[in-house]
Amino acid sequence: MAERLKAAVIGAGVNGLVAAAALARGGCEVTVIERGAAPGGMMALGLFARGPHPAALEALGLKPGALGPAIPTVALCPSGRHVLVEGAEARFADGSAHPGAERWRVLSRRLDRFAAALAPLLTGAPPPMRLRAEGLPGLLRFALRLRLLGARDMRELLRIGLSNAADLAADALPEGPLAGLLAFDSVLGSRAGPMAPGTVVPLLLRRAPLRRMEGLAARLAAASEGKGARLRLGAGAARILFEDDRAHGVLLDDGERVEADLVLSSLGAAQTLALAGPALFDIEAQRRIGAIRAQGAAARVDLDFAAPPRLPGLDPAHHGARLVLAPSVQAVEPAYDPVKYGRLPALPVMEGRIDGARLSLTVQCVPHDAPRDRIVAATLAALETVAPGLGGEVRHAGALSPADIEAMTGAPGGHWHHGEIALDQFLTLRPANGMARHAMGPPGLFLCGAGAHPGGDVTGLPGLNGARAALEAMR
Amino acid sequence: MSQARSYDAIIAGGGHNGLTAGAYLARAGLSVLVVERSDIVGGAAVSRELEPGWTYSNCSYVCSLLRPEVARDLDLARHGLQVIPYTGGASFTKGGEYFAYHHDQRALEREIARLSPRDVEGYERFARAVTRQCRFVRPLLLRSAPDPASFHPRDLGELLFLLRRLHDLGEREMGEAVRFWTASVGDFLDGFIEHPLIKAHLAGSGIIGTGLGVYSPGTAYVLLHHYMGDLDGAIGAWGFARGGMGAVSAALAGALRAAGGEIRVNAEVERILVKDGAAAGVVLKGGEEIRAPLVASNMDAKRTFLGCVEPGALPDDFLDAVRRFRIRGSSAKLNIALDGPPVFPAVKGEAPFLSGDLHASESLLELEAAYDDWKEGRFSAAPYFDMLIPSRIDPTMAPPGAHMASIFVQYAPYDLARDGVRDPAHWDEAAREGLKAAVLDKIEAVSPGFRGLIRHSELRAPVDIEREVGLSEGNIFQGELTFDQLLFNRPVPGWARHRSPLPGLWLVGSSAHPGGGVMAAAGANAAREILRDMKRGGRDEAAFRAA
Amino acid sequence: MSRAPSLSGPLPGPFHPRLEAASTAKDWADWAGVLSPRKLDATGREYFAIRNQAALIDISPMRKYRIEGPEAERVLNRVVTRDVAKIAPGRVGYALWCDEDGMAIDDGTIFRLGPERFRLCCQERMLTWLIDAAEGLDAAVSDETEALAALALQGPTSFSVLEAAGLQVSSLRPFDLAEPEPGLLVSRTGFTGDLGYELWIATEHALALWDRLIEAGRVFGILPAGMEALDMARIEAGFPMTGFDFQSIHAAERPSRGRTPFELGLGRHVDFAKGHFNGRRALLALKEEPPKRRLVTLDIDGSRAASGALLYRRGMFGRWREVGHVTSALWSPTAKRNVAFAEIEGEAEGADLFAEIYLFKEGKWERRMARARPGPRAAFRPDRARATPPARR
Repeated sequence: MAERLKAAVIGAGVNGLVAAAALARGGCEVTVIERGAAPGGMMALGLFARGPHPAALEALGLKPGALGPAIPTVALCPSGRHVLVEGAEARFADGSAHPGAERWRVLSRRLDRFAAALAPLLTGAPPPMRLRAEGLPGLLRFALRLRLLGARDMRELLRIGLSNAADLAADALPEGPLAGLLAFDSVLGSRAGPMAPGTVVPLLLRRAPLRRMEGLAARLAAASEGKGARLRLGAGAARILFEDDRAHGVLLDDGERVEADLVLSSLGAAQTLALAGPALFDIEAQRRIGAIRAQGAAARVDLDFAAPPRLPGLDPAHHGARLVLAPSVQAVEPAYDPVKYGRLPALPVMEGRIDGARLSLTVQCVPHDAPRDRIVAATLAALETVAPGLGGEVRHAGALSPADIEAMTGAPGGHWHHGEIALDQFLTLRPANGMARHAMGPPGLFLCGAGAHPGGDVTGLPGLNGARAALEAMR
Repeated sequence: MSQARSYDAIIAGGGHNGLTAGAYLARAGLSVLVVERSDIVGGAAVSRELEPGWTYSNCSYVCSLLRPEVARDLDLARHGLQVIPYTGGASFTKGGEYFAYHHDQRALEREIARLSPRDVEGYERFARAVTRQCRFVRPLLLRSAPDPASFHPRDLGELLFLLRRLHDLGEREMGEAVRFWTASVGDFLDGFIEHPLIKAHLAGSGIIGTGLGVYSPGTAYVLLHHYMGDLDGAIGAWGFARGGMGAVSAALAGALRAAGGEIRVNAEVERILVKDGAAAGVVLKGGEEIRAPLVASNMDAKRTFLGCVEPGALPDDFLDAVRRFRIRGSSAKLNIALDGPPVFPAVKGEAPFLSGDLHASESLLELEAAYDDWKEGRFSAAPYFDMLIPSRIDPTMAPPGAHMASIFVQYAPYDLARDGVRDPAHWDEAAREGLKAAVLDKIEAVSPGFRGLIRHSELRAPVDIEREVGLSEGNIFQGELTFDQLLFNRPVPGWARHRSPLPGLWLVGSSAHPGGGVMAAAGANAAREILRDMKRGGRDEAAFRAA
Repeated sequence: MSRAPSLSGPLPGPFHPRLEAASTAKDWADWAGVLSPRKLDATGREYFAIRNQAALIDISPMRKYRIEGPEAERVLNRVVTRDVAKIAPGRVGYALWCDEDGMAIDDGTIFRLGPERFRLCCQERMLTWLIDAAEGLDAAVSDETEALAALALQGPTSFSVLEAAGLQVSSLRPFDLAEPEPGLLVSRTGFTGDLGYELWIATEHALALWDRLIEAGRVFGILPAGMEALDMARIEAGFPMTGFDFQSIHAAERPSRGRTPFELGLGRHVDFAKGHFNGRRALLALKEEPPKRRLVTLDIDGSRAASGALLYRRGMFGRWREVGHVTSALWSPTAKRNVAFAEIEGEAEGADLFAEIYLFKEGKWERRMARARPGPRAAFRPDRARATPPARR
């Protein structure tokens, strides 16, 4: 029997761990290289996850049930009439019927159908631009599922897929917290407003139920190790090594060399290029990588109180839910505008949850290097609209700007998805034209992070797809 | 009620697309009547003399992409149309700097190098990328858009044509094509060019007439409209119609009449007559009925289907889709009669590029901020404008020594916000004066003394354009040119081929594929579809095929 | 700040006052934005000056880039297909470079001025390409095109002219370069296949150099020459030219116009052993495939230059089948051959080809199908071009 292939995976975030498990299952001897003291990467900063995707869970040997219960979302409203959303069901938080519930249900089901049609494009190689064997089955499955939607739905998908979330909300929902929630989910983690064409796509990628994030990193790491991957914590990759134009291993910060036939990087494309050295890449590829838009606009804020904070109209029973403060589409769009000019909005939009006396938030529309005290101030100003006086009760406040997140996790620009999810950076164009099949430049080097196809959030799909592409290339 | 007259076809609305469709139908032997509610034909392509001696192209002001195939088929030169190319353009800064866009390659290279030596190559790469996309898109303009949800052989054929052309691009170019179609003009330019003024100059054509900003995805491809004309040395694709835009409409009307078609002005369609589940003619304001088994509407989709068809004649889901079709007012027009030539101190003496499009926007972010104002329901505090002085080229536009300035202004919302309420009625005199002042302040900063030259001016807010021309919200393209409203989605998915669920009712304006601009493509495509439907194609069909 | 608006078209170059004075033909062309003479007087006379005496040709419009720094060699090796390490200081090397798909962008010469100093001379604008190639490497790139004037002194008496001008270059072998005087660089290079030199000097000293060479060359028959004479010489010498014999992929609106070094017959300049360079992986794959087309030299019957001719071979039932086209053509006055560069389909190589030549004969166009045979790469490249020291005349 031939010697086992050695693979090195850079980064032990969700995608690195899924890639490692998939590679190990594919017969490789896998080392995961993580700079941090613990696995998880950006998961340490996230509050909720919709994943990992079932296909990624399968690679890890985990059952979907292992992830814990799904949690509802409460869309906060300054009037105190918050809306409780559980999947396709919506009602007021006090239990009374919401007038938009039926329209929400219809829209949710429609988006579910569209997401199901799109699914084959996400769990495999992106559609090929030329008629070639790889990726063709996925494309054909996609075409078939499109057809099965029926002419009406198919046309509608092709229309709204290219449209924007604000128009979708305006056509389908009454303006208010429900529409605001839709708009918020369309741009969460992105640097865009819901009026930007292409913002319906993230909605189609976010159909799975939400769960709390904590403990997930450790569980995924254990599962990955269970599949045979070795975790090498506390030392980052200093350089990717090459021999005769082939990836050959990774040199670590502490001087250790990890020999490998395959190197998979869950970092951004630009960071990977820097580790490999630009001279190994064609100038066009370097230019395309340099043009990837990856400027984060989401900050993490933690507010500590003496006692569990009280939000008028919010039942403490819902403290464990995802709280979304995005009271309308009309509130989400202008919140985004100042970011373009490097300014903080007066009233940012956010999601968060209450754990005991702590309110943890992901705050949207924050400029890359916004000062922490200003982030906190803007966050409190927005929270005051639903909980007047809340700011005065804060004992301690901490914030991480996108720049801080970038410094902590290495995520390009501190961006949730390692790169904006927009139509010009999606599918065959993710992370950039010519690199969507995970190979980038020298043979043996592959991308497996959120910047790669199909993109961010805690899905593990880029890791899975990257590992598959790498194994395919060795065949 | 007067006795109903009858025709083979009635064109509701005498805009340039309506006249084009009418002329093709008349040439195919149909008896055609064009009804126009205004006192002259042309819709938005008209010339009026508001100040004695000065010709105003009130709304549309340049001949952008008038399809040469149409001009040839309809013999427009014989009917008086002469398009004089304008060469170049410029963007000025408050600080006295400028960027001149020269059509001469060497002059342009030197001008770019003067501002930013690295950008010479960046511009070359940019121009090549756009030209490659032009080559790809151009043949699609005069074809019908396929419906990907249909199994009809023609749809499959057109879809195959589209896919084959994509495939022929090669893998990398195909990726670039998709990127080009989905990127924002700002991001696209950022990939090639460094200098903010050069980018601002080039970006303008990506936002004209649309409710999108320079960083909104989908604006890059609008650049094609600027470049398509330069392809294959087709000089004159962009230019002034001698005598103003009314000359385009007059030539089309001439072609229509020469083919036996009739035109009635001051005849506004009140509703479209429906008999036995099919269009049967029109009812004019005042009650007159005119019968025809075929009604082709040059009005936009909303006005046609929501405003002129009786309830119940069209299926609800179709009407819902029409309601979802986005037509947003985003631009205004300022026309000014000048007593003398405006002076730009940044430029010494006479320069050919001053006869082109002139701007005073200095960066992409300035343009983006102008868009943010619009989103909030305000007209831009620092608007983007596209100023042309056609009298510098066409001596018929103004008395000797005097000039005419035609200023397209972006952005101006249709329903202006006031105290949190958005309403078109907010366009009162004060609002108009405010927008005019915002534009003139910008012009005055780069052309001191401009205000002093003004003899007469008129500002047309979106609401005025709607009222006078009939375009919903004053949108110059009869519907946003966003990619969810292009090709097979325009105006309504499943109804992209000028037809409607009501037999005999057709859409020939730019609400239909391929969209706006004084191209005459929608009218020509619609006529072809109608004739194909009537199986009376004959020679005109052949002419289309040849073109 | 106010400036006069730019004028259209090409602008005068550093030698323009002398060219203008020497020009009786007043026949100007645009070479890379510089007003350049097609001919100064008569192309024939200027051509024979290249082959018989010494011709002085302004080549300043060439693009000239300086690459300097500890990793300058790595920058260039990242760009070009050959191994730059093999160009010793004081030497000049030919190089070509490709895009990511292995399609030629341009070719040119690399002057190794020192261990860490290079100059790249070529036709296309390459500034941002070189700057991007230098990203992450310790080297600076600058554009010297306007700062540096250049003259080609080509022909059998060119060495004698330089000697008479007081420039000591007898030890220069082909592709050597030297600085006989501070600020004046002389390389034994050229685009004519004959004995010849190229001289490089700061623009402000351009006219003095011109005058000095004309004065020294008077007894050796020196003659200013234009682009047409140079073009004749380079076709005879078998040097293909970007923009004529192939299209730079950077200047191609149609991506299908790209050509690989293998298709251009320049495969020997591709060094796969030196490590990565732009387009290497694509070229490695292409190397295994037979080229779709080939740029070849042809020897065509008759004496009418086959410029722009389409090429045919006999197909089924004796019908003509188009298999390529002529890219540059010349009746070689020295070799007495009707030579041409042509691009033909790969499978037509070695087949009997015919060039379709149109002749205007006293008011009537006639078509001739002239037989086209494979020709030598160079129709004329005399031994004197390589002798060191060169013969004195």
